[in-house]
Amino acid sequence: MGRAIALAAVAALLLAVPILFRDPYVLHIAIYAGINVMLVSGLNLLVGYMGLLSLGHGAFWGLGAYGSALLAVKLGISFWVGLPAGALLAALMSFLLGNLILRVRGHRFVIITIAFQEITRLVHYNWVELTNGQNGLSGVPSPVVAIPGLLEINFFAKENFYYLVLAFAALTVYVCYRLVGSHVGRALVAIRENESLAESVGVNTFRYSMIAFGTGAFFAGLAGSLYAHYSRYVSPDVFDFIHIVEMLIMILMGGRGTIAGPVVGAIIFTALPESLRFVGLSPAAQWFTLGLILVVGILYVPEGIVPRVARLLARRRGARPAAATENPA
Amino acid sequence: MELAVELVGQGLIIGSGYALIAVGLTMIFGLMNLANFAHGEFYMLGAYFAYSAVSFLRLNYFLAVALAIAATMVLGFALDRLVFRRLRREPIMSATMATIGLSILLQYTAQMVWGAYPLSIKSPFPPEPLSLGPIVVPVNRLFIIAVTIFVIALFHWLLKSTRLGKAIRATFQNKESAALVGIEIERIYTTAFTIGAGMAAISGALLGSIFTLLPTMGGFATLKAFIVVIVGGMGSFVGAIVSGLMLGVAEALGAGFVSSAYKDGVGFIVVIVVLLFTPQGLFGGKS
Repeated sequence: MGRAIALAAVAALLLAVPILFRDPYVLHIAIYAGINVMLVSGLNLLVGYMGLLSLGHGAFWGLGAYGSALLAVKLGISFWVGLPAGALLAALMSFLLGNLILRVRGHRFVIITIAFQEITRLVHYNWVELTNGQNGLSGVPSPVVAIPGLLEINFFAKENFYYLVLAFAALTVYVCYRLVGSHVGRALVAIRENESLAESVGVNTFRYSMIAFGTGAFFAGLAGSLYAHYSRYVSPDVFDFIHIVEMLIMILMGGRGTIAGPVVGAIIFTALPESLRFVGLSPAAQWFTLGLILVVGILYVPEGIVPRVARLLARRRGARPAAATENPA
Repeated sequence: MELAVELVGQGLIIGSGYALIAVGLTMIFGLMNLANFAHGEFYMLGAYFAYSAVSFLRLNYFLAVALAIAATMVLGFALDRLVFRRLRREPIMSATMATIGLSILLQYTAQMVWGAYPLSIKSPFPPEPLSLGPIVVPVNRLFIIAVTIFVIALFHWLLKSTRLGKAIRATFQNKESAALVGIEIERIYTTAFTIGAGMAAISGALLGSIFTLLPTMGGFATLKAFIVVIVGGMGSFVGAIVSGLMLGVAEALGAGFVSSAYKDGVGFIVVIVVLLFTPQGLFGGKS
């Protein structure tokens, strides 16, 4: 009961953001936060629930962004076709790549995923005829919904785009929530805790890692497409290593292996750099701060903010920690 | 043909840099089972410290290189005590991410101190190349090769002929047994980490005199060094040296004959193929 009220309150608050904050800058940050929620919720399936560190997630969001932007700019295809197309392109790529690499574990997997992202970046950087190289693609159109005579919504307006992103971010979180609560989630946690044991009781570890990898890539593709049509520009910078580091800060500091953790992490760590800029820190100083937070955070709050707060609250109430079962060991 | 010789020469210079960085990285990896993504930052700092020593302290280049190595080793020692010592017990994901955080912290510290614009260390060597029969070699490049060979020989001697080297090799093979016979594992770790940082710094200070310095150079060095370590076989010193040189040459030949745009892609493709088909690397070693 309390849970339903809390959820309704959060939903009402999120829906009210454009009314509460008239400032376009706040809406801009809220839109980026929503895109980040999509990126990290999907990546969390692999990183948090299954315990496999991927540094290649940026490749999928870049593929979604470029796929959808190219369809719109070169062929004039609508955003509403480009969005699923970009996401499917990312998912297809993750399927092909996953077949090659999802049997590899540990440090080797980490390095392969970096190599994949770097190759993807090089291709987008150097295939100038298609991607316009370093200069990027500009003139990506804003999404529009138009039913002649009835209604016309242009998502160029920030408050409209906010609701679009909110809808897709909510969908992403809901799908991840359902997935995690199903046998898939239990299989992923079993793999994380003891892969050989999971295999010996009949869990098809390859199949489940593919589900986690592919779902994450699909939502990253959706997020990439939304990003391209929001900023109306996409360049090879989307493949920068720093973005994947941001995503992992959101997941690890928010609380990996929980649904709420990465969402809270995405909101905090989208707003934080902007706040740091607001108080006058240079970009270099902002990144320095994020690096420091990552090092200190891993040493002192290894489970992440949400599980830590949940445990502290539970202890205050004298109850058993509710989030403890969800924490990675 | 002349182009090929020229390219191989260039590749060996860069490759010797990769080899020096990779030897330290593979030592840390083999000893502590830690993928240190901040390792390339020691290369970057070695170059910047040498730059500052030449440009601000007005030191002679060779003194500046020595000072840069010493300063980086002191920093490496401090970071090992402060951060890395605590990461050795952490699972792969936490430890890896902490080293990535440290790498960002160091990179942007450098950017705040030295700026984001390319700098260069003034080379002490005359611009006229040295003619050795038909081969013409710039003196500064010859110097880099000579120092690399000297450092690797020194490292080899240290490992094979000193008590410390024996202890490092024992720990490398089996931590528990080494600890049982009285080797202080923690001291070995710290010493090895400091030596690794110093070797990366040498590479940075040397290559900094022929390439430009950027705060981002460390991140790139880390990726290249990981490629070298994996291709050579994690934990194999010979593998790190040979595959470091090979990667340098392959990149130079790829850039010269295929496409300079995809030069950096060579290593990434090689590393995926090696990991998928011969996960132990070309020179075996322990995983």
